[in-house]
Amino acid sequence: MSSIVLENIRKTYGRNAPPAIADLSMEIGSSEFLCLLGPSGCGKTTTLRMIAGLEHPTDGRILVDGKPIVSVADGLFTVPEKRNMGLVFQNYALWPHMTIRDNVAFGLTLRKMPAAERDATVDQVMTTLGIARYADRYPGQLSGGQQQRVALARMLALQPSVILLDEPLSNLDAKLRLEMRTELKRIHAEAGSTIVFVTHDQWEAMTLATTIAVMSEGELQQVGTPDDIYERPANRFVAEFVGNLPINIVERDDGRSDALHAWIDRCLTLFAVDGARVASAGIRPEALRFGSLSDEEVTRHAAGQGVIVDIVPTGGSWIVELDVAGHRVFAIATEHPQVTTGEQTHFWVERHHLHLFDRDKKRITL
Amino acid sequence: MTQQTVLPEERAHPLSAWKRLSYLVRVKSADPTLLLALALLIVFGYLIFAPVVLLLVDAVTVHFADTARTRQDLGDLTFYYLNRVLLSPISRDLFWWPLAHTAIISAGAILLAFLVGAPIGWLLSRTDLMGKKWFSTALLVPYMLPSWTFALAWLTLFKNRTIGGLPGWMETLGFTPPDWLAYGALPIALILALHYAPFVILLFGNALKQFDTQLEDSARSLGASPLTVARRIILPLMMPSLVSAATLIFAKCLGDFGVAYVLGVPVGFDVLATSLFRAISTSQAGASAVLAGAIVLLGSLSIIIDMRLLKEARRFVTIGAKGAIAREAPLGKWQLPAVAWAFAVFLVSAGIPLAALLLTTVMHVPGSFSLDNFTLDYWIGTDLGTTALHQGILLTGEFWLALWNSVWMVGLAATGAGMLGLLVGYAVVRSPVRFVSVALRQITFLPYLVPGIAFAAAYLSMFAVPRPPLPALYGTPIILVLAILADQMPFASRAGISSMMQLGREPEEAGQIVGAGWFRRMRSIVLPIQRGALVSAILLPFISGIKGLSLVVVLAVPGTDLLTTYAIRLVDYGYSQAANAVVVMLCVVAFAGTMLVQKIGKANLSDGMGSK
Repeated sequence: MSSIVLENIRKTYGRNAPPAIADLSMEIGSSEFLCLLGPSGCGKTTTLRMIAGLEHPTDGRILVDGKPIVSVADGLFTVPEKRNMGLVFQNYALWPHMTIRDNVAFGLTLRKMPAAERDATVDQVMTTLGIARYADRYPGQLSGGQQQRVALARMLALQPSVILLDEPLSNLDAKLRLEMRTELKRIHAEAGSTIVFVTHDQWEAMTLATTIAVMSEGELQQVGTPDDIYERPANRFVAEFVGNLPINIVERDDGRSDALHAWIDRCLTLFAVDGARVASAGIRPEALRFGSLSDEEVTRHAAGQGVIVDIVPTGGSWIVELDVAGHRVFAIATEHPQVTTGEQTHFWVERHHLHLFDRDKKRITL
Repeated sequence: MTQQTVLPEERAHPLSAWKRLSYLVRVKSADPTLLLALALLIVFGYLIFAPVVLLLVDAVTVHFADTARTRQDLGDLTFYYLNRVLLSPISRDLFWWPLAHTAIISAGAILLAFLVGAPIGWLLSRTDLMGKKWFSTALLVPYMLPSWTFALAWLTLFKNRTIGGLPGWMETLGFTPPDWLAYGALPIALILALHYAPFVILLFGNALKQFDTQLEDSARSLGASPLTVARRIILPLMMPSLVSAATLIFAKCLGDFGVAYVLGVPVGFDVLATSLFRAISTSQAGASAVLAGAIVLLGSLSIIIDMRLLKEARRFVTIGAKGAIAREAPLGKWQLPAVAWAFAVFLVSAGIPLAALLLTTVMHVPGSFSLDNFTLDYWIGTDLGTTALHQGILLTGEFWLALWNSVWMVGLAATGAGMLGLLVGYAVVRSPVRFVSVALRQITFLPYLVPGIAFAAAYLSMFAVPRPPLPALYGTPIILVLAILADQMPFASRAGISSMMQLGREPEEAGQIVGAGWFRRMRSIVLPIQRGALVSAILLPFISGIKGLSLVVVLAVPGTDLLTTYAIRLVDYGYSQAANAVVVMLCVVAFAGTMLVQKIGKANLSDGMGSK
């Protein structure tokens, strides 16, 4: 319901330390479900905590619905207590000495809501999240998934204008992850809240968010839909960070000229790309096709040749490892591959699956 | 919504210092942790740092009584006292002999404590000794009770005609103990050894428990004999814990006043603590400052050595690492002798002394077991025909006053120490300024370096005269409460710091997010979560304070007697039975308190021993 704007945010810990965040500007639209994605130490959690008010930026402004809540230049800082934001901590941070009901009701009590109304709100929230029957237990008596529901209930009871989540699914097992994912999607749809969450887990990011902002070393790399991020990575970092099995990268500038380099050259020629700008090329494993081709097909696809080194079943799909002139190249087969280890095979890629990057590691649009 | 109001070129200019400051003030205003830390720093600067500094200053400045002797003006810098205590003809009796005595009894106590404690530490941690659980509590009993209790018990048994008062049991049974057995170095060292043997049992036992048996096994598999293994593998790894126990015992012996007072002073055997006590009670402020300073110096040195060694030990622990399965050696045919020996140690160190004390309180003539000699007069009798104390202890107003004083003064001090300890913990862990947090941690640890009797001397220096905002406090209960509180801060603040470290920031931040301000978070989140830690941070100082003598013996006056000082006063008057009765009551309180703490939970006796 609220939009958030970060303007030239800089954050340093200590005078001489290198900045954790050098200069970050971004806009989070109203009712957006945004994920800050990046490896640990990239500044994503710091950013989340600055929005919540638990950290203060060294420079810059933060605006909510156009009104600044932090502005270093104007000496303005709104304390977290007054921001009306909801934050769910990674380890949930439930208060161990309060019952579930008291945990959920605490914020409302602080707001001096009349007891009857408060109890009704608490009951309603707990019922929606399916934790009503644990109302009188203590957090230590609940499982991880239940604890997370309590943490969500505690946050939702206050109807925050912005919902912030720190690695919301990381502490859950596979089944609970799916359940909680549905729950969060439902909350987003029903309340229409602006949700910002951070994670280092691309699965979490892809499955939940409507927009993903990829960060690295305190800098924003790319903002886009999950499909944008995956299919059109803005630079090498995004391409390499996102993807379960790492993307296959061919460095054209590494001074070697072997079969793999020759294959990329043929692809570029086939796809009519000016090769001079291309410093490296990336092919996601699932986009790499392989199998025996006729001579005519080899020419049509500009296919290369390699040896199958290993076939690893991963349950439902197979990772196929190829050796191409000493390079390891990975492919994913969704059907049982009709090849055996040691066998020669052709491999090729479709034009729209080839990612090309220039010398600044930026994406070259085909 | 693009409001690019701040252009990059503008950002290059640094913001005015004023703006930045007002921003930081606003950020920090929501969080008074720094203010709290500074306030605590001031409080403890006043209650701990100032007295100790003042004491040291007292040692080198002229006091009113000595202006004529030194031919200097009041407050001038002087070496008169240093000269008097360390170099003058009386320095031998004032300092050097007491120092030698202290050294002898400490060395003796350490040696004996190791002979008794180390085998027991091994039996309890690494063997299948029968009744291990019972022994591991029973053998710690001596430490739960005041050390001089055992001095009184010794006196009860071995007292001879050299000093006045009622005869000892041995005397009554027809055997006159020689002086060297009844008084002086031997009994003092023995009693201190038995009292502090639990240090060795706990520290050495714990180290053995953490010792990875795989290290032994691998040495054995390489062909080392058991003796070689013990000498080359186990001993070097145990060294830090052994030396640590030794330095701790030394530091404790240094400040231990009661035992030497009961068993040494009557025959002119002085240690540093009793020499200091005499200097204080004869109003030699300068000399007592020098003596106290010497004790502080020795105490600090030993503790610093200990801390060094503990750091060293921690380095060892990382090597020991995982797979440390403490394997229990079967005792086999040695089971019975081992149990017998452990039980004998229990009898000598706790059973017999306590029984002797208790029995004395119901006997007219100590050690005479005829039926008509037994009496309850000393507990509940009336019209006893003595000069003072005409009735049993339980009917004596002073006893109840002393008990009440003990409970309320120590209770108040312990509660204060516990609460402040928790606040110190909070301030130390959360303070945004590292310097403040380090200073606070060090200053609250300072009393640990200052043995009780020297700390009391420091308090006299500080509060015998008005120190704004406080009036002169000598003779009031306030000085006792403040001194006990300050003396207990090392443990209380350690407990506070470690429990706050475990708490983490999140529960509090979660409170912040739902709209709780700082005070509300303290009240509704931090303090309730730390309730358990608070209870032990209050109870352990309470127990330690209630049995403490060295600190309060200097500061208490008859109106503000505690159980400990009251018992010592009775000893001075020669009312052995009554004194023993008071001591028995004191033991009951201290023991019950310790058991209560262990029942309530996490708090462990070894935590209070400075083993961590």
